[in-house]
Amino acid sequence: MESDILIIGIMGFLGLISVIATYLAVTEKNLVRAVLYSAIQSTIYAFLYFLLMAPDIVLVYVPVAVGLYPAIILFLIRKTEHEERD
Amino acid sequence: MISRVIGAIVITLFIAVFSLVIALGGLGYILPPENVRELARQYLLIAYNPFNKTFTVFSPEAVTSIVWDFRGLDTLFETVVFYLAIIGSVALARGIKPSKPEKDISQYGLSPIVKTVTRITVGMILAIAASIALHGHLTPGGGFQGGATAAVVPLLVLVIFSKYYLETRGVSKNAMLSIRSLGLIGIGLTAFIVLIVGLMSGTNAYVFQNQPKPDAPVGLPALFDGQVISGTLWFFNLFEMFAVAAGFTIVFLLLSIPERDVFKYLKEEGEEY
Amino acid sequence: MIDPITYFYTVLLLSMAVNLGISLYGIFYKPSLIKKIISLTIFSDTANTFAIIIGYIRWRAATQPPQPPVLTNLNPAEKDLSAFASTAVDPLPQALVLTAIVIGLAVTLFLVFLTLQAYRLYKTTDVREIAKLRG
Repeated sequence: MESDILIIGIMGFLGLISVIATYLAVTEKNLVRAVLYSAIQSTIYAFLYFLLMAPDIVLVYVPVAVGLYPAIILFLIRKTEHEERD
Repeated sequence: MISRVIGAIVITLFIAVFSLVIALGGLGYILPPENVRELARQYLLIAYNPFNKTFTVFSPEAVTSIVWDFRGLDTLFETVVFYLAIIGSVALARGIKPSKPEKDISQYGLSPIVKTVTRITVGMILAIAASIALHGHLTPGGGFQGGATAAVVPLLVLVIFSKYYLETRGVSKNAMLSIRSLGLIGIGLTAFIVLIVGLMSGTNAYVFQNQPKPDAPVGLPALFDGQVISGTLWFFNLFEMFAVAAGFTIVFLLLSIPERDVFKYLKEEGEEY
Repeated sequence: MIDPITYFYTVLLLSMAVNLGISLYGIFYKPSLIKKIISLTIFSDTANTFAIIIGYIRWRAATQPPQPPVLTNLNPAEKDLSAFASTAVDPLPQALVLTAIVIGLAVTLFLVFLTLQAYRLYKTTDVREIAKLRG
């Protein structure tokens, strides 16, 4: 298989997996697990930015969306509630 | 019940119309397109062009030259928006007095193995953050990327050691606020320095100017002792790294105030529960 | 028959659109304030990804991928510059997305502090309970 079809095929596959991760993050009742699924989705997006030849955005996105956002929201969850009601 | 049905219809319609716009050729008829747009081609040609000294920025990294030189005012106002968010958060925590630690400081935190490993990796993270920020005009990187990487260090120390350890080391909210303000003053000075030099020597100059232009023949040097520093870009990256790292540290310090201090303050204010 | 490159690219674009729809559902219909903040971050990240996908160009040949917008030669000739301008990816969306990420971060930080203060005063983060309080 040629390289261009392979790389753009991997991009399409990553898009499909990110849909599954987003659905799991939005419909999960336990908030700590929802933050974890959101961090998985951000990692998939960071890999997608690397394949799209945007190295500046990868260097912003990895500390901010995989490191700082989940840390801030985990601080918030610890001070407020852990579960979402119905 | 009826609102859920309307909501489901709206979201499905949103996805369907979006797909219709793409399929009808909204992004072009050949996907992905063959060439970049004409504006992007011009920016790529003049980002580092030793033959065209009128328009060039002398920075081989096209994204940093757009962020700090061609569209520099956008970045200035983005920094102002971030500063407003931090001021709002500091104002919400006004008046809360921190309490003293009850036990000895070395008994807070996780086990000694974790503390030793953290002491080793903190130095490495700071070195990588400085390298990303200061090489921002030559390789992918820049001020905000370096600052966000350097902001991981106070978070690690806060979780693994304790908040009281940070305060005995001098990292308090007021110290970080003054570092952030110094960083922002540095950014403002770098934006105005070519204008000041032009006014003092009697020639025409603009705010946010980097290299000499045809009717404003003043500017910062693009090469320093044979190394490429691209004029004002290096100074912008340096000050932005300090400002962003200090800003994130303030947020983490505010988020780690224990709840009993807050309740004591709210009871004094007279809020009822 | 069908061009596989256009097919996979369209799959990527449509999965971004579906992500936008799911995160909009999360913002409207989930009652917890923290879940709304998580869905808002997913929404803004997906919009930024869409902007960067637009900047990609097609491969020239099967062994010549597009380059990131960084020039690697510090003493270029004229033909190096025009070769760079015809094989590099669009740098403008990347610069605009950099600004957009920072502004989204500032808004999310402020929302987190507001949620914390609302929990301290009303003892709940459920919007239905807060709407019942009314003053």
